Amino acid sequence: MQGFLDNLIRHFGHDPATWPWTQFVYLGGMALFAFAVINFAAITAGIFSWAERRVAARMQSRVGPNRVGPGGFLQWVADAVKLLTKEDLVPAEADKILFRAAPYFMMVGFACVFVALPFSHRLVIADMNIGIFFIIAVTALIVVGIIMSGWSSNSKWSLFGAIRSAAQIISYEIPGGIALMIPVMLAGTLSTQGIIRAQGGLPWQWFVFDNPAAFVAFVIYFISALAEGNRTPFDLPEAESELVSGYNTEYSGMRFSYFFLVEWGNMWVMSALATTMFLGGWQIPGVSAATLDAATGGTAVALELLSLAIFVGKTLFWVFVVMWLRWTLPRIRVDQMMNMCWKYLVPMSFAAVAFVAVWMLVVHAVPALGLVMRAIMFVLGVAFTVFFVYRTAQNIRDTGDKFDFTSNW
Amino acid sequence: MAENVTLKPPSRQTPGAFGAYAKNIGDTAKSFFEGMSVTLSYMFRKPITTQYPDRVPVPVRDTIPPRYRGFLEVDMDICTACQACERACPIQVINIDILKGDGKTTPKLRMERFDIDIGKCMYCGLCVEPCPTGAIQHTREFEGSVQFFNNLVLRFVPDPLVPAVPYKPPKGSESFPRRPLGEITRRLIVAWDAPTPPFPTKEQLEADKPKGAEAKKGALDPAALGRQLAARALAAKEDKPKLQKVLEEAMAGTDCGDCGYPDCFGYSNAIAQGKDWAPDKCAPGGADSKAMLETIIVTLKTGVLPEQPAAPAPEGKAAVGAPAAAPEPAETQGPPLAQTLPKDELYKVVLDAMAGTDCGDCDYPDCDGYTKGIVYEGQKELDRCAPGGEDTKAKLYKIMLGTKPPAA
Repeated sequence: MQGFLDNLIRHFGHDPATWPWTQFVYLGGMALFAFAVINFAAITAGIFSWAERRVAARMQSRVGPNRVGPGGFLQWVADAVKLLTKEDLVPAEADKILFRAAPYFMMVGFACVFVALPFSHRLVIADMNIGIFFIIAVTALIVVGIIMSGWSSNSKWSLFGAIRSAAQIISYEIPGGIALMIPVMLAGTLSTQGIIRAQGGLPWQWFVFDNPAAFVAFVIYFISALAEGNRTPFDLPEAESELVSGYNTEYSGMRFSYFFLVEWGNMWVMSALATTMFLGGWQIPGVSAATLDAATGGTAVALELLSLAIFVGKTLFWVFVVMWLRWTLPRIRVDQMMNMCWKYLVPMSFAAVAFVAVWMLVVHAVPALGLVMRAIMFVLGVAFTVFFVYRTAQNIRDTGDKFDFTSNW
Repeated sequence: MAENVTLKPPSRQTPGAFGAYAKNIGDTAKSFFEGMSVTLSYMFRKPITTQYPDRVPVPVRDTIPPRYRGFLEVDMDICTACQACERACPIQVINIDILKGDGKTTPKLRMERFDIDIGKCMYCGLCVEPCPTGAIQHTREFEGSVQFFNNLVLRFVPDPLVPAVPYKPPKGSESFPRRPLGEITRRLIVAWDAPTPPFPTKEQLEADKPKGAEAKKGALDPAALGRQLAARALAAKEDKPKLQKVLEEAMAGTDCGDCGYPDCFGYSNAIAQGKDWAPDKCAPGGADSKAMLETIIVTLKTGVLPEQPAAPAPEGKAAVGAPAAAPEPAETQGPPLAQTLPKDELYKVVLDAMAGTDCGDCDYPDCDGYTKGIVYEGQKELDRCAPGGEDTKAKLYKIMLGTKPPAA
């Protein structure tokens, strides 16, 4: 985006390197982009809240919210208005300053991720050369907000939830971070755009099908992202049955909605990151990144929009998977959660890194082997998908039901 | 999905550490796979829930069982005004106001009001059971959300000034032409969410009074009718069928069966045959039927008609079972008002004669009490009204006895 602002300054006949107002233009641009990104995050989180309820309802053979707007789409607006008009309650015994500040820490940790998160070929706030490192670092800021809210609420439930969340996020940061190192190794860069450029538009060019260890890394990353986002089956910090609502028990009104905004917005973040790192990002099948760079005029705009659509499409699919998982799996216990992290994910992520390191040397020596492996992985992936679809159709058939997606929305 | 994951019999050989580790991973992957395919399959099926209330293929009331106890409904066209439902109701949900007629110019019974308070109803169904014609029934209507609770009262007689005439079921009929169940109540429900009318003001109540009195014109005088019937009964003493007909005229004629006989014929025949001497079994007829039957039965037993009132006025005074009707000395100047006026009218006249100060000097709490004492309870002392003095005393003596007060 700095390039975009530089071009803007040049357009008005100044040299950004010497013009004294350059920094102010940058500042204004930053404010503008921050505003846009936070609103994007808030609105997507709102829409996800509606989508999740509809998906959940369908999976439980219900209909879900469908009264406000077409298909109930404006339900999230109604909910937001309701939350805005509610009383902002602060418990008498709470640490008032920290209690009030905690939601903003969450928001900051969450919104900062968007700085390095790409949307399309050109659309990224800052293509930093440490992009992934930055994202992993600022995501950890959320845990500060959670602990602040849990501690300052002066409630046992809140504190338990916060401690659980801290333990969970810190634990899963390790396998998650190491799993993300595999695309970094394969691409040779930490920049999010660089990692996407190192992949291709077609599925066998994605990192997820690069080799078995990369696939495992993708699974590990996805599980860790669920855990870091406090999503089911890792929603122990908010386990209703034990902790009422966890760290946000004492919150109400708009402050409460911030927590949920972050939770739902996190679904976009984790899915967009998975798309960026493993699934080819905005790469258009058959169009190389170099072609995109070279395109001008109308073609450039069309390709840009196409790349945006591809990225958003992939991300929304994984958002759906996250919702789908939530309504499939039960919540796991704390000891199971810890077991899974330290006994399975951490060793496996180390093994995957070692395997990829060796594999890269092998492919460097015999490039044909890499192509064969990609082909095998892709065929296995397609076979798996076909089998999955078959099983799903069988599940419908076995109960004497029939495929009916359109009625009763 | 579960059978693939947990229900496998444990293998005999316990797996080694690595085997268990690999098996856990395999189980996890498998349960993810199966579980997610199950949930996804539900995503592509039709939800089983219905979208009540406005997106259902048929109204919900048509899908619930026919014997469902919903809101009550009364078909006034086949209601016999027997009030069996009102008596059966354990919590006084049903309110029926009966307007009595003489049976000639006006029907014997008419219903000024037939209200069912659905807000209070507990849907026990006890009112439905005694109904002789099936006029009162439970419908399958159940949607009772209203803005104003008072609107939950179903008024089956819409206008009290147009009282409903009861249905006379043909003798021995088993079925009655009832309107389709739910039609009437549904029409009443439509008006439910109108705001309730405000409580009437005192002026409005006063303005309504003469109208009510007008509607009551031609009301029956049970005592006079009782004497007439008693005379006819005495004449037909030996002719049992004729006597039975006379007796049946004193009854409400609703064939409700509350008396323990199947219908009015059964009860009247039992009296005519001398098998039953109880005059108080006709519940729909109430106190009036009881008084008339008592007059007839006493007449039949003694063989003499009850004393005629002194005045030949068409509205004769009650002769039987009324304490204040004790014979009073007839006067030369013609009968006093006390003997010519019905008691309610007399009450007004007497009250008018009082001083109206409610002083309590008469040992009654107020003028109203003293008036009631004189008119209804046989209070003989007419000189207790201190504020009224000689004037009131003279008036009272004139009204009650037709004489001048004795000199002090």
